[in-house]
Parts: sequence; C-alpha cells; structure tokens
Amino acid sequence: MKIPIRLKVNGEEHDVSVEPNQTLLDVLREELSLTGSKKGCDSGVCGACTVIIDGKPVLGCMTLAVRCQGREILTIEGLSQNGRLHPLQQAAIDHNAVQCGFCTPGWILTAKALLENNPRPSREEIRHGIAGNICRCTGYKKIEEAIMAAAENK
Amino acid sequence: MKLPNFDYAKPGSVSECCDLLREHGTAAIPVAGGTDLMMALKNWLKTPKLLVDLGGLPGLNEISEQKDGGLNIGALATLWQLAEHQTVRTKYPALAKAARDVGSRQLQAMGTVAGNLCQDTCCLYYNRPPMLRQALGPCLKLGGDTCHAVKGSKSCWATYCGDLAPVLMVLGAAVRISTASGDTVVPVNRLFSGDGKQPHTLQPGQVVSEIMVPAPKANAATVYLKMRIRKSIDYPLLGVALNLALLPDKKTVGDIALALTAVEKAPIMIAAAEELKGNTLGNEQIDQLAEAAYKNARPINNTYGYTPGYRKNMARTYVKEALRQAMELATADGGAA
Repeated sequence: MKIPIRLKVNGEEHDVSVEPNQTLLDVLREELSLTGSKKGCDSGVCGACTVIIDGKPVLGCMTLAVRCQGREILTIEGLSQNGRLHPLQQAAIDHNAVQCGFCTPGWILTAKALLENNPRPSREEIRHGIAGNICRCTGYKKIEEAIMAAAENK
Repeated sequence: MKLPNFDYAKPGSVSECCDLLREHGTAAIPVAGGTDLMMALKNWLKTPKLLVDLGGLPGLNEISEQKDGGLNIGALATLWQLAEHQTVRTKYPALAKAARDVGSRQLQAMGTVAGNLCQDTCCLYYNRPPMLRQALGPCLKLGGDTCHAVKGSKSCWATYCGDLAPVLMVLGAAVRISTASGDTVVPVNRLFSGDGKQPHTLQPGQVVSEIMVPAPKANAATVYLKMRIRKSIDYPLLGVALNLALLPDKKTVGDIALALTAVEKAPIMIAAAEELKGNTLGNEQIDQLAEAAYKNARPINNTYGYTPGYRKNMARTYVKEALRQAMELATADGGAA
C-alpha cells in the first residue's frame, strides 16, 4: 500500500506516494526525475548513488524512501547555486577528475560531506573518506587532487 | 533489485516498538540503519510482513560519558558518531578504530552501533541472489537440510563478521535489552547464540537499546586489528581485539581479554588469556596466547579472499602483533588508551 510522504530535496518539497519497499534512489530517479544519482551495484558497495541526508553522505540504494520524511536531502542537482558550480565541481573539471562520469556525482557529494566535517584533510584522510566511491576508470589520483584543491581554495 | 512487499510501521517509543515486534513475532523485523537488512531484503533472504522502523526513537542516538568514567552508547548512535566522538577517540581508540573500519564512510553514516552488533551472519552460499541460490537448493540457514559450506554438516556455519562486538567484549561492555515490560542488562557476549542460522539470542519483542562500556583501567590499552583484502569496504576475514591492563609496575598483567571475530559463528572470547593474569609477558606467554587463538579460530571456506588455513594461521600473527601494540601503549608515559 502506498504511503504519502513529503520529501525535501535540494530545498524543494515534493509530495509523493511511495511503496514501503521503494528505495530513495528509485524515487529520486523515477518519481522526481533526478537522475544525477546513479544506480551502480545497487548493493551498497560502489557509492554511485551517494546523496547527502542531514549533512551526511548516505547510499540512496540502501535507504528506504519512506524513512526519509522530514529529512534534508541533497543530490548533485542541488549543488550548484545560481548557475555557479560548487568548488568541488569546478575542481573536478580543472583537474580532469572526470572520465566516464558515472561515479562523479557520488564522490563529489561524499567529498562535500568530508570537507564540511574536516575542512583541511590530509591525502590519507581523503582516501579514507572516498573509499566507498568506486571509480571503474580508476581515476583516483585526479579525484584526490581535485578534492585537495577544493579544500585548499576554501 | 526489487524488494519483497512489506508493511511499514514507525513507532514513537521503545515500548511501542517492542509491542509491535512481539505481536507480529517472526513476521516483523526491526530496522535501525538498515545497511545489513537492505541487502537481505534485496536478495530475498528475508521477507518480512512488517518493517518496524526504529529510526528517530527519542534519546537513543546519544553517546555520553558517565560519572564513573564509563561510556553509554545509545543503540541508534551511528558508527560515524562513534568513530568521530572525542571521548571515544581519546578513551576508547580501539572502539573508534573498529567503527572507522566498518564498510565505507557512507555505511558508517547509516549503520548504527546496535545494528552492527545485531548484524546477521555471512556465508557465500547464503548471501547471494535467488538465481544463484537455485543451483544448490536452500542451505540450512534458508530452511534446507544441509550446509553447503561444510558439506554434510547439520549445523549452519555462517560466520559472524561484526567489527564492534569483539572490541566491546574485551572492554567488558554490557547491553540493555528492552521489552515492553522492562529492561535487562547482559554482557555483550550473551547476545550471541553461537548458531550460524539464528546468531542472536534476542526474542521477538526484544531490542537492544543501549550499550554500556566500563571506564578504562589504569595502564590499560585496547587494540583492534582487522584483516581484509582492501583497506576499506570489506568485512573482516579475521578481527582480533585485545584489552591489556598492567599493574602499577607496568610489567605484570593485571587484566587481559582477547576476542576474535570473523572466524566462528559468533565473536569468541579466548579463555586462555585469563591464565596470563599475574604474569609478565615474555615470549613464552605470547606464544601461548597466540596458540590458543589459533586453536579456537575455525574459519571455513565460505567467503571471498584468503583461504581458511591462511586465516587460521594469521590468528597467531595478529594476536602477537596486538599484544606488541597493547604493551607499547600500556607502558607508554601517560599510559591509558
């Protein structure tokens, strides 16, 4: 039986009806057409579906949408403000940290949460922070450099 | 992956939650962080009629230092909270490390302390999608009549792979188990049944609501070492937790506890550690403890990665390294950790 809920995504409120067994990722992608969050492994390993809920990076594929009522959800679509890219997005471009692009929304959001928690991370802390975001193009070095640069420019 | 259909309930209090769980018996499953449960649902290993959401229950996500120097951890405190909490990092660094060693940062932000303790056992023959399970038919854990991991065995060998349990056990922690009619407090190891199929002793209507960790002793150190293939994401292939408290001479063992995870159906305490109390730790005593860990570790061929023989051998190596690190920390100036 569908349950009506109100989801607050990127500052906007959406009234949706969800089945209890629908994941947040499916609702974001299928109901709200926010396809920036990717479905990779669909089993909590790859991090491509990472969104930020109440300031923490969370896996959309492992979260039931029905449990997200009243929580602040941020997806990659909500990161740029007034047409200006977020420093992490700009750093990703400047440092060629995007190859196929599939993992990019996930690691950028994970890195955002990391930098909010720890504005001056060491390389080791960055590696640990984004260890849950798998890049099959194996572009980790560039990703690390982009996050480092975004932290330094803060 | 399509999840099974279920109803959803969000009780407003622990007692309401216990009532719901008792009323629905095995048809209801409680969910805290959900990271362990979601995969079981996605693989149709569990098909509850009702999901009881513990998220947001008031007062259950706090970590607080007690007047007696101990630490109370709310059941719904996340692994992230535990890993970052200042008191935990300074007074119980092994506990913070174990939390940081779980999965990825995202899983730490979602997973809870009680959920980590109450995670299900793992086995290659169990944790896989329905299509892959068809070939061999259901294993014991799925209601079949044989174990595929240990051929011919009539008991389930699924392995307990939690990281926090061994650390909490060597620290002498206890858990508060709540029911609608009241609470009981039991040592952490009483949560585990030793049966791979039903790894926990919790009954329908019971939930873990709090974890109480006693104050660290003087000249004491706790160490947690986790063996796995990658430095992140992976479950442990072997986990060794050691708590060592030296007497004021900083040589004689006042108290010592050793626990292993990921090598049995439950986290296990190594009783032989007790024999070292009152002794100084020379090579002979270190070898004796490493040998006891080796004998008690019973890893089997039910996971990816290293062979059971290697994991069993590494129990010796990891215990020796844990002892070395604990001695160094416990004898250091200022001592505690």
